[in-house]
Amino acid sequence: MNTRIVRARPLPVVAPVTGRAIALADVPDAVFAQNMVGPGAAIDPARGPGVVVSPVSGILVKLKPHAFVVTAEDGRGVLVHLGIDTVNLDGGGFVLLAEEGSVVPAGTPVIRWNPAEVEAAGLSPVCPVIALDADLTAVRALAGSVALGAVSAGDRLFTWA
Amino acid sequence: MEKAQAILAALGGADNIMEIEPCITRLRTVVRDAAKIDESALKAAGVHGVMRAGTVVQVVVGPDADTVCMDIEDLL
Repeated sequence: MNTRIVRARPLPVVAPVTGRAIALADVPDAVFAQNMVGPGAAIDPARGPGVVVSPVSGILVKLKPHAFVVTAEDGRGVLVHLGIDTVNLDGGGFVLLAEEGSVVPAGTPVIRWNPAEVEAAGLSPVCPVIALDADLTAVRALAGSVALGAVSAGDRLFTWA
Repeated sequence: MEKAQAILAALGGADNIMEIEPCITRLRTVVRDAAKIDESALKAAGVHGVMRAGTVVQVVVGPDADTVCMDIEDLL
């Protein structure tokens, strides 16, 4: 699992959606809120049709209708999860704009969705953005780097040291 | 496959699994008997965390949940 190599540069992670950046601890899901998958931040998305973009430049290693993982060149993976428990929507309302395995520069459109529809289905549309398996040093640095408040897709969200 | 075997054993074995499906980072399972779940064995198998609500158990395994789930399904 811990096959991370030495990396030279901090990894800038941009907001995948437009909305309001919030602390991960405020996400209504214990797995994300307790950093079980990794540290990061979350975005309470603007309601209405929107496009979700890649948070880092890399390869789209996993793509599901409601979530995806992009692995940067240095091997670090960032997870974007669109809403909470949205696996239960079975892909309804999500349109894939990229293919699994493709190269996605930061800001590349990956999924089209409508957070208002997720909310109407009784689910939270909040989007956790997770630094997968980040080590402890990176976690502390990252927590201090989160830009809370209004963000547009493509704006810096946090820096993964 | 070893990880899948360890997780399956810690969930009470194949007979205890009623349903299992992967989300992107977790296994969502429904078990017959929640008392058969061994959380310390799950941790020892390398899982990040376990969330339980009655017989519904979420095992947080990380981004390779798909692979682990397929391996477990092969063992059922």
